[in-house]
Amino acid sequence: MRIKRYRGLFIQVIVSTLFISIVALFINNLSVNLLRAGLGLNFSWLFRSAGFALAEHPLPYSPSSSYAWALFMGWLNSLKVISSSLLIATLIGFLVGFASTGTNTLLRILSKLYVTLIRQTPLLLQLMFWYFVGFLSIQGEIFSPIKGMLSLSNQGIILSGINLSPEFSSLLVGLGIFTAAYISEVVRGGINSVPIGQWEAFRSLGLSENDGLYKIIMPQALPAILPGLTSQYLNLAKNSTLAIAVGYADIYAIGDTVITQTGRAIEGFLLLLLSFLLLNLIISNLMELLNKYILTYKQR
Amino acid sequence: MNKKHNLFPYIRRIAFSNSLDTCITLFILLAVFLLSTITIKWLLFGADWAVVIQNYPLYAFGLFPADQRWRPALWLLLLISLTIITLVGPRWRWLRKLLPITWIGVIPLGIVLLSGGLGLLPVASRYWGGVTLTIFLTTCSSLLAFPLGIILAIGRQSDLPLIKFFSSIYIEALRAVPLIAILFFGQLLIPLFFPIGVEINRVIRAVLAFTLFVSAYVAEDIRGGFQSIPKSQEEAAKALGLSKLQITQFVILPQALIIALPALTNQAIGLLQNTSLMAILGLVELLGISRSILANPLFIGRYMEVYVWLAGIYWLICTVMALLASHLEQKVTIEKLTIKN
Repeated sequence: MRIKRYRGLFIQVIVSTLFISIVALFINNLSVNLLRAGLGLNFSWLFRSAGFALAEHPLPYSPSSSYAWALFMGWLNSLKVISSSLLIATLIGFLVGFASTGTNTLLRILSKLYVTLIRQTPLLLQLMFWYFVGFLSIQGEIFSPIKGMLSLSNQGIILSGINLSPEFSSLLVGLGIFTAAYISEVVRGGINSVPIGQWEAFRSLGLSENDGLYKIIMPQALPAILPGLTSQYLNLAKNSTLAIAVGYADIYAIGDTVITQTGRAIEGFLLLLLSFLLLNLIISNLMELLNKYILTYKQR
Repeated sequence: MNKKHNLFPYIRRIAFSNSLDTCITLFILLAVFLLSTITIKWLLFGADWAVVIQNYPLYAFGLFPADQRWRPALWLLLLISLTIITLVGPRWRWLRKLLPITWIGVIPLGIVLLSGGLGLLPVASRYWGGVTLTIFLTTCSSLLAFPLGIILAIGRQSDLPLIKFFSSIYIEALRAVPLIAILFFGQLLIPLFFPIGVEINRVIRAVLAFTLFVSAYVAEDIRGGFQSIPKSQEEAAKALGLSKLQITQFVILPQALIIALPALTNQAIGLLQNTSLMAILGLVELLGISRSILANPLFIGRYMEVYVWLAGIYWLICTVMALLASHLEQKVTIEKLTIKN
């Protein structure tokens, strides 16, 4: 027994020494390289003026604002696109999920087709498709059912006076439709995890399909759906960094610009990591709250 | 129910069971009809496929020197024929035994064919591109990420607290960060961590970044496999007197890998799709070369044709990968059954 414990200790010491020495070697190389380039690690450059313009900024911003402020605008832009495509993805995802478990065979085939098509092509390709084919090549207004309320053109989407840029709109549509395909699979899995007897029971009680789905099946399926939903939301947040491909100024795109301008690769990268961490924390904490709420609601 | 004799009620049951269903069915039929007429019209009259037809070599090999194109072509041909043999080839025993080794061997062969050496003219990695580079990135990264993922998964299950700690930190950190940030790290920051004079080419750096990223996800999938194996297996093995290493190697790991296989397939397919991100970071793989083609004034505005074509290629490769994986899955399950009996 004693020999065994020492062996474990021995392995751990060896592995950690190896690990630490490799890290130390890398850090040593890094500091040598940075010194040669004349760049010590510091963050004072954050408060110099950025010098580049931003097409979209939720708060007042001008090229004379600081790098820190520019990065913050990028973070807000990320938050904006994540939260709005999250809503769209959830809506479409649940609808398609219901359709794929519903009684209408045609609808089931169609939702299956949608999920396969979306999952078998790269998201980046889809985003470029929505941007270059979906928005930029529209000639004139193609869709405006109510004048001034909702219109689609190569200037983006106009929704009751709010003008969404084509960059934002294509991200919204692309991320929304992509994530919805995955969410629909999560929802389908959750609904299928409810025993078939529950369906038979509410049908025999005379409840309609809709009533049964909302009052009997969904409350039981939700606890199974939520963890999958959370990880899809986190994926959505991570995928939103592809915004750079369509020229939307999200946190990654601005971070990239800042790093190219200042040459502060390490500091910029650390700040990027920090901002992703913050986004992740926000999403997972909100979902945790939702989870708690649903569990207590169920117990009542 | 006999569908043939009751076709009419069958259709009625699946599509027109109540008024809402009837509305939905009619609406879908109308929408599908309209969409397909638009699509067929565009395919026949609207589309100009010159942008695809004139650029086949670029899509396949990127900017690879024209007189050396036979090398990536040979490699792709080998991969295709291996795939066909694996999926529908004859079931001779010696051939089936040879296949796994050939699959693993085809990757170093690809490296030699692409980069040169061994009597072949060296070709710098900036000339690699197209589907060849996409497949090269996918195969190399998954081959490297697989063992690393296994090690991380075992590390995370370990009783030794420090090893468990390091593995968990690695897995969680990599899973919290978007892939593009890791790739960015690979392209811009990896050189900073190596001594001056050590140059690693861009493709290798991309492979390293993909490997770091994917291995964290592979580790989680394999851990899922570990957790679904009943504790009694380990106890039984212990009772037989197997050492800890032997238990992992011969009892737990093989079963965990079989359970994790579908998830690992999804990782590989996801990896193939994610190689397209290198287009943003300056490699001319399939999507990157298409962006260059679209920037050519000759083909200006031909987005639709190129994107439909690309979607078709990605779809085809993903489907082939899924087929190969399900073949492997079948084979593994059959072997498991024969061992049992």
